[in-house]
Amino acid sequence: MIQAKPYDFMVKYTQQKEWIDGRGNFIAFAFFLGGISGGLYLASSYFESLLGQFVALILSLLMGVSYMIHLSKPLRFWRMFMKPGTSWIARGFIFIMLFIGFTFIQLILSQWASDATTAIMTFTVLAGIFAFAQSIYTGFAVSYVSAIKIWNSAILPILFVVCGITGGLAILLAIMMGGSHAQLVALENVIRVMLIVFAIIVGVYLWNTTYSSITAKDSVSRLIRGSLAPLFWIGVFLFGILIPIAISVSTYFAGEAATGLLITAVASEIIGGLALRFAILKAGVYSPLLPAE
Amino acid sequence: MRWGMAIELKRCVGCCECVLACKAEHFLPPDIFWNRVLIGEKGKYPTVTKLIYTVRCNQCADPACVKVCPTGATQQREDGIVWVDEDKCVGCRYCMVACPYQMRSMYEDGNKEYFPGQGLTEHEKMGRILYPHQLGVVQKCIFCKERIDAGLAQELKPGVDREATPACVINCPTKAIHFGDLDDPYSEINRIIKEKKGHQFHLEYGTDPSMYYID
Repeated sequence: MIQAKPYDFMVKYTQQKEWIDGRGNFIAFAFFLGGISGGLYLASSYFESLLGQFVALILSLLMGVSYMIHLSKPLRFWRMFMKPGTSWIARGFIFIMLFIGFTFIQLILSQWASDATTAIMTFTVLAGIFAFAQSIYTGFAVSYVSAIKIWNSAILPILFVVCGITGGLAILLAIMMGGSHAQLVALENVIRVMLIVFAIIVGVYLWNTTYSSITAKDSVSRLIRGSLAPLFWIGVFLFGILIPIAISVSTYFAGEAATGLLITAVASEIIGGLALRFAILKAGVYSPLLPAE
Repeated sequence: MRWGMAIELKRCVGCCECVLACKAEHFLPPDIFWNRVLIGEKGKYPTVTKLIYTVRCNQCADPACVKVCPTGATQQREDGIVWVDEDKCVGCRYCMVACPYQMRSMYEDGNKEYFPGQGLTEHEKMGRILYPHQLGVVQKCIFCKERIDAGLAQELKPGVDREATPACVINCPTKAIHFGDLDDPYSEINRIIKEKKGHQFHLEYGTDPSMYYID
């Protein structure tokens, strides 16, 4: 066993801190907001909710604010457009800007020029493409980091998108409460399916990661039974999966759900999505610098 | 041309002279280290081995940090040296996260003094004029590129002539650190790496580091 101080990172598995401590918390918020903003826009476009699209725009703007707080030199933010060829952060920044731009135009047209259906459809499709891009790029930005084995997985972008869409659907449910009963039932059905898909992908992701490398296995151990277990089991599993699925199943059999129960499901789903981003970022560990025995 | 280093671990005594030389050369603030010395132990009595590693940016041939940087602040020169243009860095820390060797640091606290409460030393004051470091940007070893450039301009040979060689290399009292051109098959560094079987850390990341260690 190698022992060294004070540079434990060279001989032990060490947690990444840059994207979770201090200002780093805001990148987790930004990833979360980007995911649910994209998911909400796609869901709102499908269910034709103008208010949902507007809230998606607000969430995307909040994502930008969260990004700015994360940066040490926010006044230089314009430089982040410079290298989309290789940097996922640069690509993501462009996706966010285009999404905000197209959504803004689409909302203005929908509100004040509703006759321009072709233009509205065009901008809705364009905004939808970048809503999806905004949602998935956060996963790619994280999974591109080959130094952190738990992140370096092809499943992660899919997980982030599914989590974003599920969160977006949950927010849309809150927005559409009190509206058309048929639409609400249709939305609940979609949420039921997405929740099950989300739970399966979380399971597959963790299972797959355990045998990808020893470092990744260490990360999963931290999540399942280590220091991050409360965050994972309470935040991700209980709030993100168990409570929403329990409510979803109960409403399926009961026929109609109480408003309070639906609000609980929505809040629970949002907490779960946020906890997932934090849990995955916190679980990122580096291999020791020095070779093993 | 690709500059690289080879470190003979059996020669290193852990005096940290390379760390001090680097700090003095670049007027580094208290919390910032462009290179470090790791001292540890391996095994149990009576077969204990002492380990001493001097580490710095690996100046990878295919660096992850350059790829992830969204602004182009982290750049790679034709001679392989990876450096940070402080005027372009936004402080997103993506490069710090992406570096598999954890060799980057963020300069965050400009008020720290080497002798707390006693103000800046003359050396620190001079450093803030001659070699100012911006707050909120990423810091890393640059293989003393300014020494190499100045040396080459005078037709000196980095790794051979002191004036053209990185500060940590020329200040090592045991000559444990070798510097030279990895692309030149006849260079002294390549001979040492070949004869003494130098190895790189974590080849599995595919970054091809320019730092070689000789056990």
